Parts: sequence; C-alpha cells; structure tokens
Amino acid sequence: MENNASSTSTKSPAPKGEIWVWFTSLGLVLGLAMVLFLFGLILMRGFSFFWPVPVVQLELKEDSESVFRGNTSFAGVIASTQERSLQEIAVEEEILLEEEEEVEADGILGQALQTISEYRVFVGSRDRYGQSFRYFRHNDILERSFPEDIIRAERRVEGDAFFFPQRIQFQDGSEVTREDAIFEDELDRVVKEARSRRSQINRIDRREIGPINLEIRQLTMDLRYLNRIERSEGELTEAQQAERERLTGRIAKLNEQFELLRDQADELRETNQSIRVFYEYADGTNGQIAIGDLFRFYYPNRLGFLQRVQVAGIQFWEFVSGYPREANMSGGIFPAIFGTFVMTLIMSIAVTPFGVITAIYLREYAVQGPLVRAVRIAINNLAGVPSIVFGVFGLGFFVYIMGGTIDSLFFSQAQELGTPTFGTGGILWAGLTLALLNLPVVIVATEESISAVPRGVREGSLACGASKWQTIQRLVIPASLPGILTGMILAMARGAGEVAPLMLVGVVALAPNLPVDGTFPFVHLERKFMHLGFHIYDVGFQSPDSEAAIPTVFATTLILIALIVVLNLSAILLRNHIRKKHKGSAF
Amino acid sequence: MYKKITSLALASMVSATSLFGEVQVDPDLPEYERVSGISGNLNSIGSDTLNNLMLLWAEGFREVYPNVNIQIEGAGSATGPAALIEGTAQIGPMSRPMRGTEIENFEAAYGYAPTQVNVAIDGIAVYAHRENPVEGLTLQEVDGIFSSTNRLGGSTINNWSAVRGSGDWSDMPITPYGRNSASGTYGFFRNVALGGGDYRSEVAEQPGSSAVVQSVGADRGGIGYSGVGYKTSGVRFVPLSTDGENYYYPTAENCVTGNYPIARFLILYVNRNPREEMDSLTYEFLRFALSKQGQEIVARDGFFPLPASTANQILETLK
Repeated sequence: MENNASSTSTKSPAPKGEIWVWFTSLGLVLGLAMVLFLFGLILMRGFSFFWPVPVVQLELKEDSESVFRGNTSFAGVIASTQERSLQEIAVEEEILLEEEEEVEADGILGQALQTISEYRVFVGSRDRYGQSFRYFRHNDILERSFPEDIIRAERRVEGDAFFFPQRIQFQDGSEVTREDAIFEDELDRVVKEARSRRSQINRIDRREIGPINLEIRQLTMDLRYLNRIERSEGELTEAQQAERERLTGRIAKLNEQFELLRDQADELRETNQSIRVFYEYADGTNGQIAIGDLFRFYYPNRLGFLQRVQVAGIQFWEFVSGYPREANMSGGIFPAIFGTFVMTLIMSIAVTPFGVITAIYLREYAVQGPLVRAVRIAINNLAGVPSIVFGVFGLGFFVYIMGGTIDSLFFSQAQELGTPTFGTGGILWAGLTLALLNLPVVIVATEESISAVPRGVREGSLACGASKWQTIQRLVIPASLPGILTGMILAMARGAGEVAPLMLVGVVALAPNLPVDGTFPFVHLERKFMHLGFHIYDVGFQSPDSEAAIPTVFATTLILIALIVVLNLSAILLRNHIRKKHKGSAF
Repeated sequence: MYKKITSLALASMVSATSLFGEVQVDPDLPEYERVSGISGNLNSIGSDTLNNLMLLWAEGFREVYPNVNIQIEGAGSATGPAALIEGTAQIGPMSRPMRGTEIENFEAAYGYAPTQVNVAIDGIAVYAHRENPVEGLTLQEVDGIFSSTNRLGGSTINNWSAVRGSGDWSDMPITPYGRNSASGTYGFFRNVALGGGDYRSEVAEQPGSSAVVQSVGADRGGIGYSGVGYKTSGVRFVPLSTDGENYYYPTAENCVTGNYPIARFLILYVNRNPREEMDSLTYEFLRFALSKQGQEIVARDGFFPLPASTANQILETLK
C-alpha cells in the first residue's frame, strides 16, 4: 500500500514498470479481502449459533406435503429461504396443474408459477420428527404467528425442542398448571434447582469419585497381576498371599466409599427424574420431560435486545466451559479447548530448545561444506513433507517403540494385562509428533536471525577476550531471541491447527478426563485428549445429524481461531518486550 | 452376511413399526443392572460408522459407572484389527467382519482368534437429493452407477435418464459419492452392491459417513451410499430391489428379513483369551451394549437394534 501511495504522488505519466506496483497492491487487496471475508463469515455464523432468534409458528394447508402425521402446525426457527424455478419442478406437473387452476381463479396467473419458494425450518425435536429440519412451501402456509408463550428448550438428549409448557408435576403428585399465576416462576425455579443438582452430581462424579477410582484402578491391576501369577505358577508365596489379602481389603474399603458417594449421586439423579414438565407441541400433541433432562429454556418471542444479549452470553459461556454431550452433538467444548492448549504448550516446550540448538550448531560451529548444505536441504525438505507422514512416524516411533518400551520397563503389569499406558496414543506423543513437524520452521527462523547479528558485534566481543561460547551465549542468542520467537509463533499457529497427524497419535472424539487435573500426579501425559480441529472434523463430517451440527462447526472454528490468536498474541507481546529490552542495552 | 441376516429373521420376529424414524426396541431385552467393582480405562479404536454409537454408549455407560474412563478413536474399520493386535485398545469396533488375513495376524500374535460380538444392524442406504423423483433402483443399476466392472450384469450408467429419471431429471448427469477405502462401508458396499467388483474412478470418496450425505444434499444430480442413521432433510432414501419388481426401503423390518439387500451387522471385536476370564470392564461394556438401554441408544443413533433372542445368544457365548 505504501508503494502505491508514493508512486501515484510522485511522477505523473506512469514510468516504465510502474504498472507492476499496481499489481502488487492489487495482490495485497485481494489477499486482505479474502482473509476478511473468511473471518467475517466465521465470525458471523459462529456468533449466530449463540444468538436467540424468534420462533415462528406455521399453519399449513391440509394437503401440503409437509404435513406430519396429519398435524398441520409447526413451530421452529427459519434457517433459510430458497426458491425453485418452475422448470425444476416440472416433474410434479400434476400438482402444478391443480395450482394453476387455483391461481387462475385468484386472478394472479403467471407470477406464482414462475418460482416456488420454500422455507427450511429448524423444528428441533429430533425424537419426534426424525430429523431437525423440515421444508415448507410458502404456498402451503396459511398463517404464521409468533406465539409469546412458546419456549425453546435445551434438552439432555435429541437436541432442542419448541413447545408450550402446560404443567409441572412434583414428586408428591401435586401440580402447578399454567393457569396458576406462579407457573412461570415455578418452572424457572425447578429448572434452576435441577441444574444445581446436576452440578452437584458432576462434582461428586469428577472430584470425589475420581481419586478413589484411580486408587482402585491401580490396586485392581496389582491384584489381577497376582492372580495371573497364581494361574501360571500354580501357587503364590506367603508374602504374595498376604499382599493379595491387603489389596482385597483395601479395594473393598474403597468400594464402600465409592458406593456411598454413588448413592448420593443416584439420589440426586432420581429427584431430577421424578419432577416432570408436561407440554404441548405447536400442533397440540402432548409430551412430557423429566426436569433433569431439561437443561435450560427461554421464551424466544419475549426477549428484548438486552435480554437477547444476555441469553447469547450465557449460551456462549456454556459452550466454552461445558463438557460435550450426546456424541459431541450438544453441550460444550471445554475439553477440546483445553486439550489444544496443553498440546500446543507441550509442542512449544519440546520444539524450541531442540530447534535452537540445532540452528546454533549449524550456523556457528559446523564447517560450511557439502555436508552441512546437504543437512540444510534435508531440513528444508522436511518442511515440505505432508503432515500425515509425521503422524505415521509418530505412531511407529513414539507410540509403538518408545511407548512400548516405557510400558515394558515401568508399567509391565498393565501391559501384560492388555491395558497400555504409554503404549497407546496420548497427549505427550501428539505434542512430540507436532514438535518434529515444526522443527524445520524453528531451525530456519533461528538460523536467519542468528546470521542477522552484525559481524562487528561478534568481532568486538572476541576482541575483548570473550570465548566463542561466551559470545554466542551473551550476545548472539539475546540478539536473535525475537527471531527465535517468530519461529515459535509460526510453529504454534501451524501446530494448533494441525489435525491429520494427531488422529494417529492420540486425539479422540471424546475424552472425559482432562490431561491436567486435580488428581495426583496432576499432569497426565499418557492420556488421550480432545482437540478443536479434530472436533470440527468429527462434528462436521461424522455426526448423524450433520445438518443440525453445522452451526456448531462454525462456533468451534471461531473458538479455534480465537485460541490461536491468543497464543500468538502473547508470544508477540513477549517478543516486543524482549526487543525493547535489547534496544535499551549498551549496543 | 446376507444369509446370516436371513437366518436371523427365521430365528425371531422383530417388531418394527412405521417407515422411518421410530424404531421399536425389543421389550424382551434384559435391563442393564449395575454390578460392583467396575473401574478402569477402556480404549476403543476402529470404525467411524460406529464412532457415534460408541460415544453414546460411553456416555450411557459412564452414567452407570462414573468411575470408568472411556477413550474412543474412530478412523475406519481397518484400524481396529491393528489396534487389537498391538494391544493399544481393548475393543475394536468394525462395520465389517475381519478379513482372513486380519484374523491370521491376530492369531499369530495371541494364539487364539479374536471374539466377534454383533451389537446392531445397519442398513446401507442409497441416498439421492431430496427432490430427485427416481422411484427405485435395482442392484444392477446401482452396480452400473458405482462400478466399472459391472459384475452384476448391467451396463455403465451416467445419466438419470437411464434409470427412469423424469422431468428435469431426464437429462441430469449422475455424480456418485462414496466412502474412502479405510471404511468398512466401502468394502461392504463393494461386496454386496458391486458383486466384489471395482468402483469407478468417478466416485468421489468422502472422509466420513455424513460427508457423503451432505455432498448428495448439496448436489441435485448426486447419489451416494452411507448408513441409514445419517439421513438429513436434504436427501431421500432410494428404495432398492433385487428382482426389479419389489422395491424396499431400508427399514428395520426389511433389513432383518433380508428384503432390503444391503444390510449388515455392526461388530465389536474383543481380545478374549478363551483360557482366562474376560476383563470385567470390557465384558460389562458389551453387556451394556446388548442390554435394553444399550439397544435403545442404537435406535436413537439411527441403527436397528438386535432382537432379544439374538442379543441373549451372543451374551451367552461371552460368559
């Protein structure tokens, strides 16, 4: 852009070659436009996932082909409107002929024949309709309205539903019906209570039962190992028998504790199942739902702008902080965000020292000759190897060879029992695989910045009596730190977005336990993990109701981009800080 | 496979109701009841057709046993046997039976054959765009659309006009969509609908079951094969026929009776040493999958549940 401005302002009749300056700026504009368009699209569609929109109720003609089991009334959110031209629907000639007659009678012949428009409506209630979307022709719609009392309910299973709540039935059989003045407040209250019970259940499951389980798991493993010895050797030594008794006793005791906690959770679950909400669909059909399955609801046609913002905020927060449900179709993506973050961190920690050391040797110590040139070519070629190849290498080398060796050295019992620890994909192996993948990036960036350190600086240092290593350590590395960080930023951006190799070395669609948590030893490098990029692939291409999953895909993409931006931004800030510090020094 | 399903139909009658959606679960299936002392890690690596089903089962199983950690990878059926042999997973979900070489490799590693557990029935539906008027296809026509070898005796078909496409479809080229070769669906469809022949190079290979459905929904001339559970509002089922007279939709009933020609079992393979007692966690997971709750989840995911007699028979062999 700068070139562009200066060139137009200086000499008027375009000098030779000036036209190319225009081309460069055109390239920039094109690139920027594409990036902005893509980003805008993701931003818009990502955010619209959270934004509550009004729910329309449609009344259809009885002979419409969209009628569902004789019911002509539907409630839902209009997802899109599309038009089909007459020619395209010529196959349905008979229907058209009928319509033609009708239209003629109305005296507006021609117009309606040209196109048929239809709505694609998100009607929810997958359990009832079989799929989340239905098509409705404009011509079939007799009436559309925006009922005040309809709610959009987020349910535990089968996605969202639209309905009119009728009455609440409590455990003791008493009821509150919609005629009662307190009905809506009551509904609000029971749903809130159910939510707090659910979070209690979660706390018991995750925090309290977790550590007990871990111990039981370990002890059971030891026990099974002893049993195995008994089977193969025929008999156990006395010490082993005593050990077995101790283990059995301890396990029984832990199981008691566990069952106590589990009963607590079960009781809460039961309460959540015993309170029920009865409702009517838009067509008047009755249904009911346990309060424990009704996660959240709102009245989409009653909200003002601020309330919409509030609902959007809550939904956004639940999306980024919640755990996935229903095969990743609903719920949040917190484990995926956290998994991506931890993996990128492991990768950065692994790749930076490795890459920097290699670059220093190549640039400062190695004798420049055919061998070093060959190594450089090899490194550059490595950058061009498809990432899936690194995935295969990671699976073969890290998982099978290294992981298998670690298992046979330290976890031999588990391995013999067919439950591998490090011998299967995990976050450590995924991080290291990506570190390898990004090694060339870091090496090249570091080499460039090392070679940019002025010759005078080195010579001055050497002249003052510093050794070569002292020069590198005190002058060259600090001066090239910004360049090294640039390499790291590039590596992080690539690493966080990479999916293909991860599928082989430890990414899973669902990993209920995080790689870092409150149970000893806090960091579990052997665990499999969830990743935003893989989550997008999984939800977008593998989920049974892929149509309903598309908004989730955009929202997840938005979060992935945001995460990469945050990671990069912090690295850039660090780099700027270092640059400033370096400028302020004596040089 | 075909024969198996037919014999299965003789063994028991299954109650299936309406055409689509609402699949009834056999009420005679046993309720799953909690046993004590179940905990640990369960790794599953295999089919992507079964991926969602495994996730839903894992969710349900964890509600019963909150202390179990289940990790599921689903990159394709071919990854299952390798994972079982390497010992990186206890369960290998597959959408096709293991091949002879895969079983041999397993036997070479452990000295006994892997245990096959059928857990659900899946119909492979042929999907077309929702506005497509085609009334039905015979297997020969399907073969002509997808295959270059035409083993079933048809001829190559490139246009909807060749399969009774009317109106706007009378001159619409056919774009076939399919799965990638790691997928069990790919292999199974080839065996049944292509008579073991080869796919045409025009078949666009998609990375996932629902990617096929999405592509067909976005392409008016498109046709593709994928599991029945992946239907969206943008596509419709194409009824199939073996004899050219009776056309059948992929319903639970038609799949179980064998009227619908492309149906199969979904399988979980496990490593079970016949001389030892099975790992209790794996066993309980299988018992859960074959219970009433587990089979209800099967129906919710769009597959067809097993009849009670079959499920009980399978459980019996695992004890």
